[in-house]
Amino acid sequence: MGGEVAKKGTIIICRCNDVTLDDLMKAIEMGIDDFELLRRYLRLGFGPCQGRSCIMIAARIFARATGKSLGEVLANYKVRPPIVPIPTKLVLRGVKK
Amino acid sequence: MTFYYEGQPVEAYEGESVAVALYAAGFDSLSWSSSLVRPRGLFCMIGKCSSCFMIVDGVPNTKTCREPVREGMRVERQRGWASPVASESVELSELPEVRIDTDVLIVGGGPAGLSAALTLAEFGLDVVLVDEHFKLGGQLLKQTHKFFGSVDLFGGMRGFQIAEDYVKRISSNPRIKVLLESVAYGAFRGGIVGVASKEAHYFVKPKALLASTGAQERYLDFVNNDLPGVIGAGGAQTVMNEYGVKPGERALVVGSGNVGLIVSYQLLQAGVKVEAVVEVLPEIGGWFVHAAKIRRYGIPILLRHTVKEVSGNGRVEKAVVVEVDEKFNPVPGTEKEFDVDLVLLAVGLEPDTRFAMQCGAVARWSPELGGLVPLRTLDLETSVPNLYIAGDSAGIEEATTAIIEGKIAALSIATKLVESSKASKAREEMDKLIRFLWDVYRASPLLARARKGKESVTVSREEMDKLRVEFPPPISFG
Amino acid sequence: MAAVQGFRKTGVVGLEDLSALGLLPPEWRLRKGPVVVLECPEMIPCNICVPYCPTKAITMERLIDLPKVNWDKCTGCGVCVAVCPGLAAFVVDLSKEDADYVTVPHEFLPAPKVGEEVVLLNKHGERVGKGVVTRVWERNKTYVVTVKTPKGLGMEVRAIWVER
Repeated sequence: MGGEVAKKGTIIICRCNDVTLDDLMKAIEMGIDDFELLRRYLRLGFGPCQGRSCIMIAARIFARATGKSLGEVLANYKVRPPIVPIPTKLVLRGVKK
Repeated sequence: MTFYYEGQPVEAYEGESVAVALYAAGFDSLSWSSSLVRPRGLFCMIGKCSSCFMIVDGVPNTKTCREPVREGMRVERQRGWASPVASESVELSELPEVRIDTDVLIVGGGPAGLSAALTLAEFGLDVVLVDEHFKLGGQLLKQTHKFFGSVDLFGGMRGFQIAEDYVKRISSNPRIKVLLESVAYGAFRGGIVGVASKEAHYFVKPKALLASTGAQERYLDFVNNDLPGVIGAGGAQTVMNEYGVKPGERALVVGSGNVGLIVSYQLLQAGVKVEAVVEVLPEIGGWFVHAAKIRRYGIPILLRHTVKEVSGNGRVEKAVVVEVDEKFNPVPGTEKEFDVDLVLLAVGLEPDTRFAMQCGAVARWSPELGGLVPLRTLDLETSVPNLYIAGDSAGIEEATTAIIEGKIAALSIATKLVESSKASKAREEMDKLIRFLWDVYRASPLLARARKGKESVTVSREEMDKLRVEFPPPISFG
Repeated sequence: MAAVQGFRKTGVVGLEDLSALGLLPPEWRLRKGPVVVLECPEMIPCNICVPYCPTKAITMERLIDLPKVNWDKCTGCGVCVAVCPGLAAFVVDLSKEDADYVTVPHEFLPAPKVGEEVVLLNKHGERVGKGVVTRVWERNKTYVVTVKTPKGLGMEVRAIWVER
């Protein structure tokens, strides 16, 4: 479903950070032609699910819109720890008052 | 037992997750989204998404699908993600830090992980099996249908019965240490894996590692695709089959692959009316027998149709379906409305390869396997030495192949870690199983697509050695 | 691209398809008494019906082959109806003059009772009449239900629905 439908209502791409299809299309129209740049611009995959919901759907839409292959789009996709949310206190160290 | 949702008492059964108990009590929204403040209900129900994050006993961002109910617990909704707390109120970890040296660490206790754990233990190897849920079994727990296969491959047994059988054998095996409600959150230099659990912060150093981390539901773009009531098909299976809670009254299922067909049948069993299954392709995606099972109870399968929009006040009340042309563009004027309170997404699964990729495994895009998947040898070792993959996280296939792959990976690990006479037995068994998987099992035309995908990401030992030179693994195990 | 087989579009397999695949019992066998109809037209890697058949009437060379029925050996006992993971095995008895008998797998509650009148459904889920349950047994949560149907519906009825 493309832009025509998007105008009629909200289509969510990233459930964590509320990135919509509209946001995505605008960013592409603005000239963002690199998926990693797009990810950083829209914070796709930066939420607590770490991209499990959004990366593939965003990559597909981006590939369609830019005419790139999905292999190309995802070529520089990296995963960094922590790969799942963990309590901050687990890694905090300090002196108790 | 009783717990409190925003001050209101909620009755729940022991062994339920908080998210399911709230859903059963009629609470459709579990949180508000971060910037648009939209209500979010449960979605994946297996710890992959972030829709069920709530404040539990004051702790924000708690995954309530993985949190068992406890008497008197206090649960509240949150908006977006919790803000950082003032430094003086930071509670420092009092959890012990525990180092575990083991032969094999298995991340994920689904069919692949379970079968690997038992095989490794049979060869006398020590195993640490980590799973995020409060019970083992992965998605087998919600498979109430009978599995295909042969008798020795659990054919004829129902998925949850296979899980019960494995869990019984694993829990009585002293070589397997099971860490539940525990997440392997990352691998670090020196081949150490961090595992966060409620009892301890573990640092596990294994000689070999199996990432059998499963898959997540593929998302779909349509208007209001985040409205509570739009649930992953697997999420609905969790609700009804793992916990016995009826997920809704009237459903629309999107996607006619095996998952969509099977979930439709299970909805019918749970007393939910399935209005239709919609499929964007001109052909049913799943196996004929699964389609026949729902057709004979009158569920229509609408080919060349997709969902365009859902609407409702805080919960799905209506779904609009539209026909598509050869290029998958909606055909104007073909809209059909369905009064439904459930829209289940069954448009495919995506392998959860984050663990292997974070370790630095070289991955390749495979449309047949549902996403980026690590390259691997026939015995399922990745470009990171001694890091293995199996099951859906190695590329979407199905539970029986996950069981077989888990065993192949385990046997390959055994060839490296046990003494020579046992190692040759492991090698023999492994070669036999690899031949069976590729020449017998995957010879089925129904698995042709997955087979093509798996062929495209399987490389020879020599090619793998070259890859390791070209892309030196940042981490190694062993 | 090969043409998509009809049943892959409809989820309904016709008698011609079954016949072409060797899955339709021959006329003489249908007249003789209860016999299995395996509506299993795709090469699923599964052979559960083979080891469970008490008369060794079903065979398969490879795991992925279509089942092959020896029509002399099949007694129409219905064990395969109970064990088939695809719920694709049915037993039909077209040999009686006044009625046909169909045995179907049933995985819904409440369990049908002998003597009870139930709705008869065809492969499209259409209500084609009412029938009376003559036998019910259960194996691993699958009920194996035999219904007496009006004459002529034996090859049509593939499911029942209990309305209470």
